[in-house]
Amino acid sequence: MSMNTWRRAGAEAKLLLVGIPVFIWTMLPIYHLALFAFSSKDEAMGGKLWPSHPTLHNFEVVFREQHHYLNHFWLQMWNSLFIAVTVGLLTLVVATCAAFAISRLKVRGGRMVMNLALFTYFIPAAFLAVPMYKTMGVYGLLNNQWALILAMTTIAAPYSIWVLKQASDKLPYELDEAAKMDGASPLQLFRLVYLPLMTPSLVAIGTYALLLAWNEYLYAFLLLSNDKDVTLGVALGSFLAADDSPWELLMTTGLIYALPPAAIYYTFKRYMVGGLTAGAVKS
Amino acid sequence: MATVSFQNIEKSFGQTKVIQGISFDIHEGEFMVLVGPSGCGKSTLLRMLAGLEEISSGTIAIDGRVVNDVESKDRDIAMVFQSYALYPHMTVGENMAFSLKLRNADPKIMAERVAHASKILNLDPYLARFPRELSGGQRQRVAMGRAIVRDPKVFLFDEPLSNLDAKLRVAMRAEIKALHQRLKTTTVYVTHDQVEAMTMADRIVVMHDGHIEQIGAPLDLYDHPDNLFVAQFIGSPAMNMLNGSVRHSNGAAQVEVPGGVMWPLPASTLADGHAVAYGIRPGDLRLAAPDAPGAVPAEIIVVEPTGAETELLIQAGADQLILVTHGRPQVNPGDRIGLTIDPVKAHVFDQRTGTRLVSN
Repeated sequence: MSMNTWRRAGAEAKLLLVGIPVFIWTMLPIYHLALFAFSSKDEAMGGKLWPSHPTLHNFEVVFREQHHYLNHFWLQMWNSLFIAVTVGLLTLVVATCAAFAISRLKVRGGRMVMNLALFTYFIPAAFLAVPMYKTMGVYGLLNNQWALILAMTTIAAPYSIWVLKQASDKLPYELDEAAKMDGASPLQLFRLVYLPLMTPSLVAIGTYALLLAWNEYLYAFLLLSNDKDVTLGVALGSFLAADDSPWELLMTTGLIYALPPAAIYYTFKRYMVGGLTAGAVKS
Repeated sequence: MATVSFQNIEKSFGQTKVIQGISFDIHEGEFMVLVGPSGCGKSTLLRMLAGLEEISSGTIAIDGRVVNDVESKDRDIAMVFQSYALYPHMTVGENMAFSLKLRNADPKIMAERVAHASKILNLDPYLARFPRELSGGQRQRVAMGRAIVRDPKVFLFDEPLSNLDAKLRVAMRAEIKALHQRLKTTTVYVTHDQVEAMTMADRIVVMHDGHIEQIGAPLDLYDHPDNLFVAQFIGSPAMNMLNGSVRHSNGAAQVEVPGGVMWPLPASTLADGHAVAYGIRPGDLRLAAPDAPGAVPAEIIVVEPTGAETELLIQAGADQLILVTHGRPQVNPGDRIGLTIDPVKAHVFDQRTGTRLVSN
């Protein structure tokens, strides 16, 4: 083997040396999650690397809502999905319109609005929880899922606006002028030129907001209290209330809870491609 | 087809005045080229005509109708951008049909117009392709197709060829000119390249620092530049320009330049000692024997044969001049030669004001 091959093998080995520990570090909790989910109650805490009698019994219990902690499993799953998807869509609408106005229509004061919105990130979201609770109370939205939807949109929007504004700035401005000359109104420009070209960023931001809402615990816990309104994440939290919690069911539900975001991410990942504007202008 | 009229157009960006009161008319069907160095305001003027830039003061009229407050889309003009600005997510056909689609045109008419334009521009095989799959020249043609489909009153071109390589630029130049001869649509074309301006224009507007230096047919500008700026801007290689002063001796007028070299002047009434800039086109200089009567003694520095013509860099007194000849002179660097010029071919300008002094 030549010197070059050795050098390449050396570089590869170095990468593996870093990569393997990181991989194990990341996968270990997920492995435990799965281990619990496929073990029977007695075996779960046994400390084995793999159950001697793997079982799907836990999944059956969860899907059939056969435990009092899981009485509303399907409803709560739906709540999570509804809230996350709505937050994703609402954030997209708000952020896209804002980014278009700031970056393309160059609305006066737009940048200041964006910076003000970003300013909210200087305060940890946890500190804003109480004022947010109070605000929702004023509007009579407590125990209403829209309270959580609005709160999460508020949290997701500044970052989304900022990212979309950066992405918009990269679209050649000549396209807007060409569309204007071709007779497009601002709305047509938005719909027929801007949105199609922003698709990758929109998918990324939509997914971001959706996952943010899906994984949210604090706000969901604060703003919703009725068992039939809460998200699955909050319901999972209630497992911890008792001393003899059914850990294997908690882990099974957790595993199931992790699947939709993974599915959503991998479904939309293929839209997050660059190079959509290739050929628009000579660079 | 339409006329375009600029009246006292001014444009300021904040405190900076980039267009300082410009007025001129473009005739029906004319190919008008706005040319000037970068920053002269030519693109701004075009963008004001396009409706992409507000007019600070003055009026722009298309076919007699003042369009200052008319939106771009209602001015019935089409523009080809320097960067092409094609919609990357649409096919060539969709790009060309876009403006008609926005006007809710009949699909049949839309297809007809696109077919017509793509035929003119030889784009038929590419209608279903996306811009990213096309070469630079093809993209340029799509950009033109998008304008042709509109069948506008006026075509606007904003440095459309500056992104192409030299060979393609020459080819597209001819294509655009042929297109204009075929469609006869009034065209306003902006470029910083005086060769483009000379080869394509019916008339040229030479701009500099936000005002017009001269308007005229290409050869008019070449033969009779109004001032130093136009004289040096138009023509390639540029006009040789020598600073000197007028001397009258034995009834003949001459210009004496530093180094004591005397250049012949056409008959004139210029006062003795008048400081002038003396211009000679490289093609108007003639090689002669060093001792020929009336010849200016000089020395060859560099010989650059290009095949069709030969460019010589020559030292005459304190000045260096360029001479272009179609022949293949048998000269070498270091050779002593003589230079002659027909006095009527000389261009004489006032050194201080830059205006033309002798009209021939």
